[in-house]
Amino acid sequence: MIRSRLVRDLIHAEWMPLLGITVFFIVALSLIAPAFLTEYNLFVMLRILSVTGIFAMSQMIVIAVGQMNLAVGAIGGLVAILFGGMMEVYGIPVPLAVLAGMAVGIATGWLNGAIIAYSGINGFVVTLAMLSIYTGLNYGITESIPFYHMPQALLDWYDGKVGPIPNIVAIPIVSAIMVSLFFSRTRPGRYVLATGGNPAAAALSGISIQGSVILAHTVSGALAAFAGMVAVARLGTAEPTIGVDWLLPSFAAPVIGGAILSGGHVSVMGTMIAVVLIVLLENGLLLARTDPYYVQFFLGMLILAAVVFNRWRAVKAEKTAAPVAQEAAP
Amino acid sequence: MLEALSSSQRLKTRFELLPVLVRAANVAGLAIVILLLVTIVASLAPGFLSPFNLFTLTRNLAIDTVIGFSMMVVLATGGMNLAIGSIGVCAIMATGYLLEVLGLPIVVSIAGGLAVAAILGWLNGILIVRTGIHSFVITLATASLYFGAMLILTKAEAFRELPAAFNALGKARFGPYSALLTVTFAVGAALLVLFKYSLVGRQILAAGANPVAAKLSGTPVERVIVVAHVLSGLCAGIAGVMVAARLAAALPSVGQDWLLPSFLAPLLGGTLLSGGLVSVVGTLLGAVLVTVLQNGLVLLKVGSFWIQFFLGLTLLVAVGLDRWRSVYVQRAGLKR
Amino acid sequence: MTAGALLVENATKVFPGVKALDRVSMALNSGEIHALLGENGAGKSTLIKIVTGVYRPDEGEVRIMGKAVSFSSPRDAFAAGIGVVHQERNLIPRYSVAENIMIERLPTKRGLIDRGEMNRQASHWLAALDLAIAPEIPVNRLSVAQMQLVEIARALSQQSRILLLDEPTASITRNEIEVLFGLLRRLKDDGVAILFVTHKLEEVFALCDRVTILRDGRNACDGVPIADIDKRQVVAHMVGRDDALSDIGNRRANLGEVKLELKGVSTALGHRGIDLQVRKGEVVGLYGLVGAGRSELAKAVIGAEKITGGQILVDGRPAVIRNVRDALQRWRIGYVSEDRKQEGLILAHSVAKNTGITIWHRLGGILKLFTDKQERKAIGPFIQKLDVRTPSLDQDVGNLSGGNQQKVSVAKWLAAESEILIVDEPTVGIDIRTKGYLHRLIWDLAEQGVAVVLITSDLAEMVLLADRVVVMRDFRVIGDLPNTYNYEQMSRQIMGRIHEAKLDEEHEGGASAFQGA
Repeated sequence: MIRSRLVRDLIHAEWMPLLGITVFFIVALSLIAPAFLTEYNLFVMLRILSVTGIFAMSQMIVIAVGQMNLAVGAIGGLVAILFGGMMEVYGIPVPLAVLAGMAVGIATGWLNGAIIAYSGINGFVVTLAMLSIYTGLNYGITESIPFYHMPQALLDWYDGKVGPIPNIVAIPIVSAIMVSLFFSRTRPGRYVLATGGNPAAAALSGISIQGSVILAHTVSGALAAFAGMVAVARLGTAEPTIGVDWLLPSFAAPVIGGAILSGGHVSVMGTMIAVVLIVLLENGLLLARTDPYYVQFFLGMLILAAVVFNRWRAVKAEKTAAPVAQEAAP
Repeated sequence: MLEALSSSQRLKTRFELLPVLVRAANVAGLAIVILLLVTIVASLAPGFLSPFNLFTLTRNLAIDTVIGFSMMVVLATGGMNLAIGSIGVCAIMATGYLLEVLGLPIVVSIAGGLAVAAILGWLNGILIVRTGIHSFVITLATASLYFGAMLILTKAEAFRELPAAFNALGKARFGPYSALLTVTFAVGAALLVLFKYSLVGRQILAAGANPVAAKLSGTPVERVIVVAHVLSGLCAGIAGVMVAARLAAALPSVGQDWLLPSFLAPLLGGTLLSGGLVSVVGTLLGAVLVTVLQNGLVLLKVGSFWIQFFLGLTLLVAVGLDRWRSVYVQRAGLKR
Repeated sequence: MTAGALLVENATKVFPGVKALDRVSMALNSGEIHALLGENGAGKSTLIKIVTGVYRPDEGEVRIMGKAVSFSSPRDAFAAGIGVVHQERNLIPRYSVAENIMIERLPTKRGLIDRGEMNRQASHWLAALDLAIAPEIPVNRLSVAQMQLVEIARALSQQSRILLLDEPTASITRNEIEVLFGLLRRLKDDGVAILFVTHKLEEVFALCDRVTILRDGRNACDGVPIADIDKRQVVAHMVGRDDALSDIGNRRANLGEVKLELKGVSTALGHRGIDLQVRKGEVVGLYGLVGAGRSELAKAVIGAEKITGGQILVDGRPAVIRNVRDALQRWRIGYVSEDRKQEGLILAHSVAKNTGITIWHRLGGILKLFTDKQERKAIGPFIQKLDVRTPSLDQDVGNLSGGNQQKVSVAKWLAAESEILIVDEPTVGIDIRTKGYLHRLIWDLAEQGVAVVLITSDLAEMVLLADRVVVMRDFRVIGDLPNTYNYEQMSRQIMGRIHEAKLDEEHEGGASAFQGA
């Protein structure tokens, strides 16, 4: 009984079509390109995934509350160089540096949220300005020169394992589970989604809109910071350019995963599958020895196709679910 | 909201003067800030007023302003266009191809490049209107799509053998100033006429301010949104061709960094993100502020690395003022 | 009966150009059901907004259990123990029924939400209302009626000592109403103070203990026991005999050819077989309760909604109206929207632009270029004719008073030289002077040969202005009555029609589910 319901829910889950496409992609790639299933290639993909998955969720959380965070990459980059700088220049141990990095992420995210919530300025503009400010800070501090010498402990941790599971697999999965729990099973998470879904109703139910907005941005900042630090571990250097190319994928993944940009609905599972799909797309085109330029083109196509499909599905669902007006003969 | 209501009585007594002041304050305030900035920079950095600096400054200004216009036209509809940079580079590469590979006359080539830009803008508009999806997502996707398509078609190779006459456009002077400014002024004048004196321009603003009311008053809302995106594409194309003339080459790497300037100029100039209100002069002044600030920071050796920081800060302050203004407009709306 | 659960004393609320409330008092006691009545624009919604913390009164005070309170947001009112069912739906669309009911006190276990417990608690309140709705399903799958019931369940679940219900029966069926009433009586016996806002007089007499009636922002009566008053007196209090409605002179109806005709029109919104005829110079009223589909029909006629069957004829010729532009430019049909702020006007734009929008296409020759001066010349006479009080034509419409805003939203259709004018709730929320003026204007327009369709929920206004009253219910026309200009008589006839249609329907077993209320 319980099992059959679980199966039914799974089949009806909105990310199912996406998963189907992804599986199809994997099968196709492994048939076409023998290099695809090699351990090395999988490893390369997982490394990309470990960062992309986290900043995609950073963006997703802000989308949930009905806003956008253009500064995800800028926060990631700023934290990355501060993190690297602290360890290289001041020799601060890794765990302490991680804590400090998280603190910076939380502070920057909170600042974004607080400015938006208290000034009432459109979140898009605020985060655009903050993108510029954080990036400016980043370049002002580093003058575009990376911190090259990362402690071995960091690199070892990144390549290490928890039990049988490599850390680079565990990182995105644990983050996804935490975010998923946040949205489905905690009060603050439910309030964030409620605020995105219908701010007026949320306010009348005693939910603080400002609180939800600030919380969403703060968590987003923390995740962006985490992504930035994982990126440092992955690259082995703290580069000021970390985060500059996050904008497109950070929106692409949640949107392909079924998030509604006006807020109130996101899908952690959908977002993570979309991240896998995006990484596969890049990897697949690379393996197929096409020009790397095709990645941009197909990514654009993928986003368009996904949003149009999601839109079509939403309209269809609305039609079938809407109470039917009386159809009695005149 | 409550405060707005309780103070509505007070507002009523001065409501004749305030809106006029608010509007004038924006442009006038911007002009004063620019004057102050110019005075400071000119007195601290003597190189500022040198003919060479004025030439590069005005050339950058000419381009940044048109990039700002490109965004402004779409902001008027209450939407945005993230594909401006991609459309710009597509226009550049199309023009370069027509000039170098097909050897067409300059005017024809530029027209071809602009046509490509207009078509890409049209495609944006059609996609937005037909799917009903927010312009942010559509143009985010098409930005990637257009840029990718351009790279595929050109194999990311630049056109560097452009005719000398074309390259001369980028070097042309008008006194100490770049002659490209005349193009900018022409575009600005055209937009001024559009939004102030034409049916389409007014309909774009009406559709942006309140699409439902506009539609119920007989405005073809969807059509004018498409028109706005075509115009946005055209402006992006014009900016692109100017960049090509400046660089004396058609480079596929142009346009990736247009996002920030495209928003900066109109937002600093008082164009509302929510649509229905634009300021052509404001956008021009906004671009002046950005260009002078950038130029000044370099001349004052603050370090080019801090430019982004100051631009972001400026934007934040400006939108703070913008917010104050729109709160005022909203307050007006709450009254019955 | 303990006294004074909720006390409003001499509350005054002024908006520019209109005094929405003028020293209004109301005393809601524990253990009573108190009716709040009044026509549209009488000040009910303003009073409710004051009690629920949306507005703050300019003068006067609100006391709860004897203590003076000052709410600065709806959250404050909520925290003070006032449960509200608003007229508009306020649910989180993708959340389950249970979560919407429990939203502000979701049960948790070890920090995580306990869905089982949440569903269990919610079920209790659904059962109290006799609702067979599974607590797990998302509310966006419910009908409007079900959503309304879920909101009632939510308000009940808060176990507030003060409960405000703003037209809770507007879209639910008779059976559901009975269950709700039974429950409200039980709550009353438990000592809850209930404020019941409604339009339906039968409900007041069936359920309520006392009644407060507002008219034109003042108390027409304050807490009169229901035993001391009858329906006739209630109506007299609501309508009054002293307002501007009575003195707009005489109507010289001069009917011409049939100007607009609808033959068996059905729409995508659910209208079926609508027949309607309007002659030149005629004022045809469209009456119906909320959700009868009147405004929606108007929008279909002007091409803003899709027509799926039947025919529209203008001057006897079949008219294909694909969009509002066609209606405006080819067929000269105008529609003054009921919602002037959202649909009628562009508040952030000037008076000139708001009026000019319907005539821009005629200005400036082939290039369609024109100056502000040309626009002013074209629209100025209409602004003057309607006596719009504005310091200049450049003034943003948002800065005008409600009455003047409404005049602008009418002016643009006069400027467009509409030959058919659909006027939807023209006098809601505006002052009496302007009201009288607009009434006179509607007749003047008709005398000049315009075919006028008048949609209003204000029955007195309808009886005053219309030549004929077409009655609608559930997106269908159910009656066509000549106006006798006798309020009592017309009111009885019209309500009779609506009531009969309702009974018929329940015999057919169709549950009513309204769209687009």
